[in-house]
Amino acid sequence: MGPKIPRAARLVAAVVAMGLAAACGGGSSAPAGTAASGDPAQPVTLTFWSWVPDIQKAVDAFNTAHPGIKVKLETITPGPDGGYAKMLAAVKAGNAPDVAQVGYDSLPSFLVNGALQDVTQYAKDDAAKFVDWQWQTGVFGDKVYAIPQASGPMGFYYRKDLFTKWGLEAPKTWDDFAAAAATIRKKDKSAYISTFAANQAPWMISLAQQAGQQWFRTEGDAWKVTIDNPDTRKMAAYWQKMLDDKLVKTEADMSNAWYKDLQTGSIVGWIGGSWGDAIIRGNAPGTSGKWAVAPMPQWAGAAQFTSASWGGGSASAILKGTKNPGPATDFAVWLNSAPESVNTLLSAGYGWPSVKDTSQITNLQKDDTVFPFYGGQNIWEVFKQADAAVATDWRWPPVSDALYSSLTDNAKAAVQGDGTLTDAFAKTQQAMVDQLKAKGLNVVTGG
Amino acid sequence: MVVLVAPFFVAFALFFLAPIGYAIYQSFFKLTSSGLGLTEPVLEFAGLGNYVTALSQEAFVASIGRVLVFSLIEVPTMVVCALGLALLLDSARARFQPFFRVSFFLPYGVPGVIASLLWGFLYVPQTSPLIDVLAAMGLPHDFLGPDTILLSIANISTWQFAGYNMLVLIAGLQAIPRELYEAARVDGASELRIAWHVKIPLVRAPLILITVFTLIGTLQLVVEPLILKPLTTAINSDYTPNLAAYNQAFGQADVHLASAEATLIAIMAFVISFGFLRLVNRKGNRAW
Amino acid sequence: MVNRWRPATVVVMALLLAAAVYFLLPVVWVLVAATKSTADLFGTFGLWSPHPQLGANLGRLFGDGLFGRWILNSFLYAGAGALAATVLSAGAGYAMAKFPFRGREALFNLVLAGVLVPSTVLALPTYLIFSQAGLTGSFWSVLLPSVVSPFGVYLARIHANAAIPDALLESARLDGAGEYRIFFSIGLKIMSPALVTIFLFQFIGIWNNYFLPLVMLSDQNLYPVTLGLALWNSQTFRNPAYFELTVTGAAVSALLLVITMASLQRFWRAGLTAGSVKG
Repeated sequence: MGPKIPRAARLVAAVVAMGLAAACGGGSSAPAGTAASGDPAQPVTLTFWSWVPDIQKAVDAFNTAHPGIKVKLETITPGPDGGYAKMLAAVKAGNAPDVAQVGYDSLPSFLVNGALQDVTQYAKDDAAKFVDWQWQTGVFGDKVYAIPQASGPMGFYYRKDLFTKWGLEAPKTWDDFAAAAATIRKKDKSAYISTFAANQAPWMISLAQQAGQQWFRTEGDAWKVTIDNPDTRKMAAYWQKMLDDKLVKTEADMSNAWYKDLQTGSIVGWIGGSWGDAIIRGNAPGTSGKWAVAPMPQWAGAAQFTSASWGGGSASAILKGTKNPGPATDFAVWLNSAPESVNTLLSAGYGWPSVKDTSQITNLQKDDTVFPFYGGQNIWEVFKQADAAVATDWRWPPVSDALYSSLTDNAKAAVQGDGTLTDAFAKTQQAMVDQLKAKGLNVVTGG
Repeated sequence: MVVLVAPFFVAFALFFLAPIGYAIYQSFFKLTSSGLGLTEPVLEFAGLGNYVTALSQEAFVASIGRVLVFSLIEVPTMVVCALGLALLLDSARARFQPFFRVSFFLPYGVPGVIASLLWGFLYVPQTSPLIDVLAAMGLPHDFLGPDTILLSIANISTWQFAGYNMLVLIAGLQAIPRELYEAARVDGASELRIAWHVKIPLVRAPLILITVFTLIGTLQLVVEPLILKPLTTAINSDYTPNLAAYNQAFGQADVHLASAEATLIAIMAFVISFGFLRLVNRKGNRAW
Repeated sequence: MVNRWRPATVVVMALLLAAAVYFLLPVVWVLVAATKSTADLFGTFGLWSPHPQLGANLGRLFGDGLFGRWILNSFLYAGAGALAATVLSAGAGYAMAKFPFRGREALFNLVLAGVLVPSTVLALPTYLIFSQAGLTGSFWSVLLPSVVSPFGVYLARIHANAAIPDALLESARLDGAGEYRIFFSIGLKIMSPALVTIFLFQFIGIWNNYFLPLVMLSDQNLYPVTLGLALWNSQTFRNPAYFELTVTGAAVSALLLVITMASLQRFWRAGLTAGSVKG
């Protein structure tokens, strides 16, 4: 070895000293004074973590429009792939970004981990800008922690040309859907109406969300878990019958196999989120003009049209430890409501905008890259109607990651013939009760 | 002497032992919330609570059984493949050695994540040229079913590391003085006999080395099932102990339970690999 | 050597050829896939590209300079990390082979046991410790942990034991050479083949590392290529066009590594063979 390496030595010393300190628990940074609006001479610098493709353009637009605030975008891996763990570790270590991309489904987990900053005083006047159910996902106990960005209202994408050829129309009810599925099997023995995506927990949850009774709610200071409820059981039994009758495929969605089947017409439909448009267009350009989108099929006897949102949606959360909660909130609100920003994000495929007034969102009125693919249909009308028909009483539990893995594992087992889908939801119910209790939370159950 | 040893051990202590120690320390704590969980959680001493939790999860225990079965398949396969390739390349009959050596070693340079993505394409009927060929020949070709998925994962590991292990063995083989073979050849021994009676006994040490490394690798299996998981219903989120720990740490952000699971994996790997070493060392005394 | 191909030779060659097909098939597949559009990737036969668009894919890949940057980062992390790891391993391995000291075997076993802990979970504690020193998010946060190679110490020790005769060291000492001089002028020289091996294996190890940069880095400009490709792969979920980028990027990065390995073949071969002179 050489005699000495001063720089490395200094780093090493720092690590030793700090490493010892780390063992005594993460440091907490003191809240600093806040400057609501920045001073152009001394701009406030904010860090923003996201994984949305091309969001840089919206951030650039914000920086141009706000000389007093400078936002630095850092692209990280998506939340479920390690991004959330990284954010929580960063909060614990005291070096978290000011604003971060967090799914509606994960906001409660962040709250339970003490990772969100209360920004009620800066955001209370912004509620009116956003669709109510989306705004509520960032509000806990009258306090605002996150600004909604986008949702994924569901619709039924289908090959209109093939449906017409087989004498079918877009199914209005789930009974129609089953009948159409049977017809398709008869007309073309290689074709299926869709796959049952047991790999996709948010998708199965959205089916349950639409079916009626919700899964989680709060009762006093306890969580009430009702996954195994009559409406979900009805939905599970319906799909179990579809599986038993071999009317749907069982391959994973958004997998290599599924992409190929969409191209070749082996799968002719998909109940998917509004952002799924980009997936179908990008994967199967050869089928341009042949697709259409219909509203999600309805349960017989439903009092009103109901839809659901895939995995809820995504928000810009203000993280604990930020020294500038005011500017951070300003940025989050602007990013998700300013028309120039929303237009950019919409074309990047980030989802359905959370803003109430979409008349300023020009890309929703006419989109020459999207509409021709669907034979000229204005598919955004379908999703607009769907987003307005999402259940507003849905609450995500503070254990949604565990919910996803438990539900996926149980549903995969059911698809392989180990029990039924109804059992799968019952097992998931038990797992969630155990999980919440293990965290020390109060739980009550019910049907 | 100290100056030679110290830099490594300082770095080892800082970047290896300290995180391990911190992980073990964390495994004795847990975060507890109360009521609805709207207030900040409290860090509590949990004793061995996380270990009890991990071992009382049926899925985690099942995953330990699964990797043990996987080791029983993968370790012999790997050793036989690596040894077979090494002997073939080392035999007097092999031509174009540099080409083959590079071809076999090449997959080692493909990152595990990418290797699994590649094989993922080759395992799915809709995109796989391999399956087209197998189906045309009337051979079984379901790579992602519950009965075959473990073999498909074993294939990825073998593909990635067989060439590397082969090189370790070739190094051993080439260290054998050539006169030994020549003497045997003069005595009329066939290449096969030479391989069996002269070469294999002389590469015993590198064979044990690759066996232990393969064993440790299989017990820590995580990347392949993680990447193949979206493609099949046969892999769940607790498929291997390390995948379960990964999900706790990265999916559910429970570093405490994850640390306990990681510690259990390390203990398991320690017991098994040192047990194996003791076994072969005792055997070694009785000649091989 | 015989010039005729005897039956045994044919059998050996057939087996080698079959093995080569097996090892090369996925690589050929990815090279073909790199020339495809997303639609063709899923829609056409895996080993044939009906509408090759390699130029367009490469153009998109290198278009904004980010991918080139990731490649450079990977070379930097892997090169600098492997170099440092080699030097540290050489010192420690040599000293542990040639100087008996108290606790030597215990230390050595500790180093070997270090391999047993799964790195997937160590990444988070490492992050928490590093963030106390303010190192997270920096180039150093990925580089520093990469300089430790327990396997390198093991190899260096074995090799020093086998290849450096004690008598040689003794005579150097009698000639009045200091221990450090002996290490640098004799030890390193004799060990150099093994050091090449350590360097290359550590290089590949760092190149393939994924979990550590995943937790440490948040600035895209510092990403190594594995993390960058994983990021793109995750974005296919919203935009399938990223499939082209991911697959082409995987092909290019694999190809670069292969070229690096092949061009260094002379060295690592020498390293491996000389590395086990007396096993």
